[in-house]
Amino acid sequence: MNGESLPQTSRIPLYEGSTQFRHWRFSPEQLAETRSLLNAAAVAVIRDAFESDQPGSSSQVSFLSAEEENLLVKLYLGKIPQLCGIFRFPEEVEATAMSYLKRFYLKNTVMDWHPKNVMLTVVFLATKTTNYPIPLDAYASRIPKTTPGDVLDLEFLVAQSLGFDFTIWHAHRALWGLWLDIQTLSDIPLDDLSKAYDGALTSIRASRFTDAEFIYTPSQIALACLSIASPALASAWLRSKSGQGSDDAISAMLEPLKAMVLSQGSLPDVEAVREVDRRLRLCKNPEKIPGTNAYNKKVAEKQRKAEEKRLRKAELQRKAMEDGDPFGSTLTAQADLDDDDDDE
Amino acid sequence: MDAVERANAEHQKRWAKDQKVGEGTYAVVYRGREVATGRKVAIKKIKVGLFKDGLDMSAIREVKYLRELKHQNVIELLDVFSSKTNLNLVLEFLETDLELVIRDRSLVFLPADIKAWTAMAFRGLEFCHRNWILHRDLKPNNLLISANGHLKLADFGLARDFADPGYKMTHQVITRWYRPPELLFGARHYSTAVDIWSVGCIFAELMLRTPYLPGESDMDQVRTTFRALGTPTEEDWPGHKKLPDYFDAGQYPKTQLRDLFTAASTECLNLLSRCLIYDPYKRISAKEALFHPYFSAMPYPTHPSKLPKPAKKGSTMPLEEFDGNVDFEGSGPGVRANPPNKLKRKLSSDELGSRPIARRLDFSQHS
Ligand SMILES: Nc1ncnc2c1ncn2[C@@H]1O[C@H](COP(=O)(O)OP(=O)(O)OP(=O)(O)O)[C@@H](O)[C@H]1O
Ligand SMILES: [Mg+2]
Repeated sequence: MNGESLPQTSRIPLYEGSTQFRHWRFSPEQLAETRSLLNAAAVAVIRDAFESDQPGSSSQVSFLSAEEENLLVKLYLGKIPQLCGIFRFPEEVEATAMSYLKRFYLKNTVMDWHPKNVMLTVVFLATKTTNYPIPLDAYASRIPKTTPGDVLDLEFLVAQSLGFDFTIWHAHRALWGLWLDIQTLSDIPLDDLSKAYDGALTSIRASRFTDAEFIYTPSQIALACLSIASPALASAWLRSKSGQGSDDAISAMLEPLKAMVLSQGSLPDVEAVREVDRRLRLCKNPEKIPGTNAYNKKVAEKQRKAEEKRLRKAELQRKAMEDGDPFGSTLTAQADLDDDDDDE
Repeated sequence: MDAVERANAEHQKRWAKDQKVGEGTYAVVYRGREVATGRKVAIKKIKVGLFKDGLDMSAIREVKYLRELKHQNVIELLDVFSSKTNLNLVLEFLETDLELVIRDRSLVFLPADIKAWTAMAFRGLEFCHRNWILHRDLKPNNLLISANGHLKLADFGLARDFADPGYKMTHQVITRWYRPPELLFGARHYSTAVDIWSVGCIFAELMLRTPYLPGESDMDQVRTTFRALGTPTEEDWPGHKKLPDYFDAGQYPKTQLRDLFTAASTECLNLLSRCLIYDPYKRISAKEALFHPYFSAMPYPTHPSKLPKPAKKGSTMPLEEFDGNVDFEGSGPGVRANPPNKLKRKLSSDELGSRPIARRLDFSQHS
């Protein structure tokens, strides 16, 4: 499905050069496959970690499936608007954070990183990327049982997982453009218009719980949501843009999208998620849990590597002295390049 | 190692740092190269650990916008990776910047050169604005120049998007000398016109070879601006007296740009004056500017590869007399033109002699 099949508003061609278009669009099949491969790889790694923690221990563990992971993510997607409400963050922050959370779990598993933690970090990061920054202390202090460190520890991981693609093209913005455009059509009663807008916005908020943004363009989502609220307005607009005939094809294309928003655009059943969360406690990656053998082993390994590197540098320095370069000028310059970077 | 960490390590391995080349307020910049091809790059290392609020806003803005913008006249962000507590931006390597070019008294600018730089600045800016991005820190030092002479907008640490017109923005942006009057008066709603004013100041500076409106404080900036362009009336700029930080800076008479920029063509001055209109709504847009007759009139803009550029540090550039077209003595900051004949390069034989040599030296140093 493609932006070209829709009448273009002025932002569309630019959208096609965006990181969202280039890196974060999938067919439904690709999306399912991405998640199931990710899940399988995660299970394999965690199984090994269990074994290294305590041989034989992985056989009794019931790992989460990709669908179960997704269910849990969805539950925490629902908590983002609540969190943003506490701070009265604008819709931009909320929508951006939700996109970040969904993108994060196309690269990570909930068995490594629990969404209840990641959620706090994506919201904080979104305040910054949308230009509504607040001090970390002010943020963390209003969230129960949360320290600034809890938020910050995952920030780098989140940014990396997003591939540093911070810009999100939102459907609610596209809806705004659509709405302005519709007002220029003749014979549209203004009353209907604002009711339709509110209805469409409600659907757009619902669409954030779905995979719509990975599959469709923001303007497709906006139009589908308008069409849910007011089919008449949506087709009047379509007719005005594309002339007779071609709007049928577009309407048909929008149907599965509308169905997706209507059927999946709500929070999952809490009981079902509670069960998933309970099992998650038993299949979390022990390497990520301080105190376990696997965690300690991993930390020790990292320290060993750092120490090796330090020794290597010291050795170079010593050689330089012997080679009659007592100030080690060439090498200090070299060492300066990767001072505290861990290049390995 | 997690998949995400592994992917990051893959990115990191593509690039090697060679030598520190500069230091900004929040970053250290290295010359480096792409390991596979040897392509020269700049690696900007931002120490994230320094900031108690995590990734800082300048770094976030720079990454956010450069990730989306791909244009001949905008610096290219090739990659981003992290190393421990640092964020590394891999940028195309750019040899010099417009400030160094302007300050280099051994260089003489032809009108066609000025046209070329101005056109490239507008092209880059038009692309940003078309993408709903305000740069908000345009100045010669942030217009970098590649080895083959292309000018590129860089330093997006203050940029923001403006898709949401109702939103209030800070007026504490843009380096003072390039800051438009609406920001000096504290406007919280502003748009693309702020960048246009900056380009106007840069355009003037290219002709004067010294900053056009070098105010000594924010207050003095207003006076300097009015002294150069005349105090605006209510009719020139409706509503400006109601801006939050408005103050009466005194009455200065209207001036003719022609008196100062004696060597400039009519089209040139027309474009300049339209960049420096007080009322932001009447100021020219980047797109209109690109269609301005100045750019289609003779002389055609100089080809980027033929533009003057400073000799490389350390290279032995054949000495020219240091009498470019700027008079550094004298009073009245930037309000004096150079005799028209000085806007020409001294001797065409100099031009033919020195530039190819400078380029040859470039090659020997960096091949
Ligand atoms: N793409 C690049 N290619 C080559 N050198 C560069 C590049 N970017 C930056 N530099 C060099 O590194 C220096 C520091 O750049 P940086 O953009 O971090 O800070 P700045 O613009 O000098 O200062 P500030 O942070 O105050 O804006 C520059 O002055 C320049 O010499
Ligand atoms: Mg700079």
